[in-house]
Parts: sequence; structure tokens; C-alpha cells
Amino acid sequence: MNLIDLPGDAPVIEPGVTLRSLSEEVSDRVLRPQAPRWWWIGFGISLALFLTLVVATAWLFVNGIGVWGVDIPVAWGFAIAEYVWWIALASGGTIVSALFYLTRSPWRSATNRIAETMMLSAAASAGIMPIMHLGRQGFFYWLFPYPNVMDVWPQVRSPLWWDFICLLCYILMSIMFYYTGLLPDLATVRDQAQHRRKQMFYGILALGWRGSARHWRNYQSVYFIMCAIMAPMVISVHSVVGLDFAGGLTTGWHSTQFPPYFFFGAVISGLALVIMLTIVVRHGYGFQGIITAYHLNAMGKIMLTGSLMLGYSYVWEAWGPIYANSIADRTAFLDTIFGTYAPTYWARVTLNIIIPQLLWLPIVRRSEILLFLISAGIIVGMWLERFDIVIPNLARDWMPSYWGVYYPTLWDWATLAGSIGLFLSLFFLMMRFLPMVSISEVREIIAKGETK
Amino acid sequence: MSERGLFGLAGSFASSDALTEAALHLRSLGFREVEAYTPYPVEGLDEALRPCRPNRLPLPIFLGAVFGAAMGYFIQYWDEALDYPLNVGGRPHNSWPAFTVGTFELMVLFAIAAGFFGLLAFCRLPRLYHPIFSAVEFERASVDRFVLCVEAHDPSFELQSIRRIFERHGAESVTEVSA
Repeated sequence: MNLIDLPGDAPVIEPGVTLRSLSEEVSDRVLRPQAPRWWWIGFGISLALFLTLVVATAWLFVNGIGVWGVDIPVAWGFAIAEYVWWIALASGGTIVSALFYLTRSPWRSATNRIAETMMLSAAASAGIMPIMHLGRQGFFYWLFPYPNVMDVWPQVRSPLWWDFICLLCYILMSIMFYYTGLLPDLATVRDQAQHRRKQMFYGILALGWRGSARHWRNYQSVYFIMCAIMAPMVISVHSVVGLDFAGGLTTGWHSTQFPPYFFFGAVISGLALVIMLTIVVRHGYGFQGIITAYHLNAMGKIMLTGSLMLGYSYVWEAWGPIYANSIADRTAFLDTIFGTYAPTYWARVTLNIIIPQLLWLPIVRRSEILLFLISAGIIVGMWLERFDIVIPNLARDWMPSYWGVYYPTLWDWATLAGSIGLFLSLFFLMMRFLPMVSISEVREIIAKGETK
Repeated sequence: MSERGLFGLAGSFASSDALTEAALHLRSLGFREVEAYTPYPVEGLDEALRPCRPNRLPLPIFLGAVFGAAMGYFIQYWDEALDYPLNVGGRPHNSWPAFTVGTFELMVLFAIAAGFFGLLAFCRLPRLYHPIFSAVEFERASVDRFVLCVEAHDPSFELQSIRRIFERHGAESVTEVSA
């Protein structure tokens, strides 16, 4: 707890928060009969965007993926770029929750529920992308390895299949991990509820949790092991996404740095989204006493670390093609930074690497507006990075006769907007009906008097 | 001596220290069926109530991991080497390096699932009703009170003496919990 500068001197929890006020406040946001006006506005916009996804998906299913801009040579378009983008955002939530539980970081206790809720919502948006991209979506179940009358199996030596199994396991594990952490808080909400129907609803969800010494002991040992498993698990998930590309012979993809490169991207973009959502929840629900400048400062520092790690990967991304003796790789890279797609390259370098260096200044980490803007810039920058990895390299393949340009269509953009709608709708719903702060973990901080 | 229609006697404490002291005292007097209900995990409380009991939960998690890894590898081996052998670039059918990812993912999936369902099983959940729910102060045991309950089937259960012990350790209220 040394090495603390100005915003880090803020208390982990404001002195006025007691065990009682904490439980009542967090439960009240869930139990209050009327959602606040900002919630309805946010949820309304999210739902409208989600309807865009419904229309875009229906149009896609009826007409096939020709409605998108994908063609030969650029056969992987927005859907794959956005799959990588969303799964990185989801992974960031797991990193905050699992990795920083293992390090016993005090700022993690009040923010891990927001991070985990984000993880589940983003995983849903990520999960639909490869299925939409399949072209013949009805056959997606062929990915499952099961004995069937057709007597065919998926090719399990392919990184694409590894990715499928990673995503499937990741979503199932995330749900169990989330529910385990939620169990004691659901019991708190049950005990706080005054109306019979809410008592029954949360009573069933809490499964009869009693908080007995036996319960807590089992809970603690399982939760610790779960975190210890989820942390390497999430690294494996995003590394395997990197292998989807590294396993291909396309120019610019066939590189050993891709697994860590993708993971670094998950750290920075996940933290950026957690910071944005934390600021929204903090002000929207009036949790200023529970989520303080200390939390935002700590997350800002980790986002800066992610930015530096990503910058390191950008250096190698440039160094590899320039140093290696491959004309095609060099041509593709030079075309990425100076050609048709140059604006996306320089925009992502600016948004992901240059602007986040402002986070070195304590005054920036203290300002919620600046943190929010830098984070939003990183989210956009990371989308551009995924675009830049997928599309320009396919557009400049080995043979000049094979070159082409990719133009997104209206339906590409509608799918992007719709996936954001799906994410936000799920997040808003969970924000309304589930406690947004891990009550039992913050209690431990209050009880131990760890206000610093 | 157990009394009919009674689940136990519950005392409510304002601090975890008072609760732990009362629990240790009861334990030293020979009470065995004592359970504590707290808003957050209190360090050393379970050891005070039930000393020298090993934590068995890691075992099912380990077994889940072993089962998941074995199944993960077997599915891929069955697919690539036995049921649908396909020569890809001259690689061996049983190309284990390519199977590591699937093996790892299923291993951790089954470990987490064993942990999740093992937690529910070890906690005897789901159990939507429990007599302690009707204790007066129980609703505050998930907020800021620490409830200790001596259950009626304890061989040395006796209302008056337990009530005195609770009160000596500063219990705010002592209530009988009906079964």
C-alpha cells in the first residue's frame, strides 16, 4: 500500500458507510419499485439498438452474408473483427474480477460485480458474431463433437475449433463463477425485501443461502479456487482467439506474437469499459461512498499498464514485417500504415497508445470526465485495431492479382449498432435486478477497518 | 435433552468478536451442535465451532478437473484417430499438441462445475426453507448482526444455561427458534 500518489490517498470506502447503510443502499437499488428516469432512457435506447440487431439478423438470415461487405479477398469482415472486440471486452471483466481477487486488491471488491456483469453481457454479443458469420447459421451445431449419423466430426486440430470450445466453456464457466459470487448478495436482497413477491423471487434465486459458518467456509475455498482457475482460463481464451489468426498463412497474421498481443488488448479495452460502466453506476445509483476515487485511480493505472503492453506489441507488429525478409508481409504492413486503411492505423495508435499516456498524471486519474473520455477513446481505438488486424491484411494478400478493398455496407453498421444494443440491454437489465456491488466483500473491508 | 417443537436457541451479537468468544465458550462446555450466521466470513469461526475438520471441497474440484481433462482428450482422440481419421499434411492421427487446448478447456470447465455444484452440495443447497429463517434477528444476520444458534438436538441442550452464556458474552437478544 505504499507507492500511492494523490488520488490514491482517497479512502477505499468513505468513513460514513456502515454495514447497515451498505446493505440497505445496494439492496434498495434493486428493490425500489420504480427505476430511475435515467435508467429508462438508457434502457430505451439500448432496446432500440437491440431491435436493430433483430432486423439486421433477420435480413442476414433471409438473404445470406452477401448483405455484408464481405467478398473475396476480404472474406472476414466486421463480424470477426467485432467478435474479437467483444470477447476482449468480456475477458477484461474476468481479469478485473479473478486476477485481482488473487492479488487481494482492495479496489476489486466494489467493482468486481460491475466487471462480471459486463463480462456476461459482452460474452453474449461476442457469441452471436461467429454464428452470424457462418453463412449457413442453421448448421452451427456441426461444431459440437458428437457421434452423428453423417459420420463426420469437426476438425479439432484447427484453431477455429479451439476457439469454439474456448468460447463455449468460457460462457458456461462465467455463468457459474458469476452466480457463486452473487449468492450471498441475493440472500441479502431477499432479507431486505418487504414485498412477498420479491421475497419469493430473490428467495428462490438465493437458493436458501444462510451465511452460516459452514456456508462461508465452503464458499471461500470454492471462490478462491474458481478465481485461480478463471485467471489462466481467460488468458487462454483470448490467446486462442489470437491463434485463429496466427494459424493462418495470411500476410500479417502468421506471427507468434498474436496470443499475447490479443491478451494485452483485452486488458486495456476491458479496463476501459469497466471504468466507463463504473462511472455510470457510481453516479446513477449514488454509490459515491462505496466506489471512490481510489477505485478509479487504481483502474486507471492498470489501463495505463495495458496501454504500455499494447504499445510494446505495436512495436513488434511493425518490426516483424520490416526486419523479416518477406516482401509480401512488408507490402501489406506498409499498405496498412500508409495505404487505404492508414487512417484506422494512426487513429488506433493515437487512441490506444498516445492519449492514454495522459494517465501518468494523477490529476487525469482523478478526473472522472477525462477517465471516461480516454476510456471511450480506447474502446473505439480497440475496435479500429480489430478492424486493422482483420481487413487490411486480407486485402493485401500474397499475390497482387488477389488484392482488393473492403467496403462495409449499411447492414455491417447495423450489426455493430445492434451488438452494442444487445450488450447494453443485458447490462441495464442486470443492473436493475441484481445487486451491482458485491455487498459481502465490501462488508469485509468495512469490518476490517481497511478504509485505507 | 431435546425439547419438542424447538429448533434451538439463538443469540444475536453486535460484533464478530463477541460471537467468536461465545462460540468458543460453548464449545469448551461441550456443546457440539452450534452454528453461527454472519453477514461476511469471520476468520476462524468455523474452526472454533468445528475444530480439526479438514476442508474436503478441493477434492471434488480436482476430480472434476481430472475427469474433464480425460474426457476432453478422449473426445478428440476418438474423433481424429479412431472414428474419422483424416490425413492432414502427414500429421499423426493422434496429434496431441493440437489437442491440448480442448483438453485444457474441458478440464477447467469440469473443475469449475464441480466447484459450483460441490459448493451447493456441501452447503446442502438449494434448501429454500430452514427453521433459522424464523429467528427474530436472522434478517439482520445478512446485514450487521451475528447470530449464534445452539440446536435442540445437541445432547447437552438446556435453555437456561445457554441463555446465561449468551448474555454473559453480551448478546443483544436471545430467542427460541421453533422447528
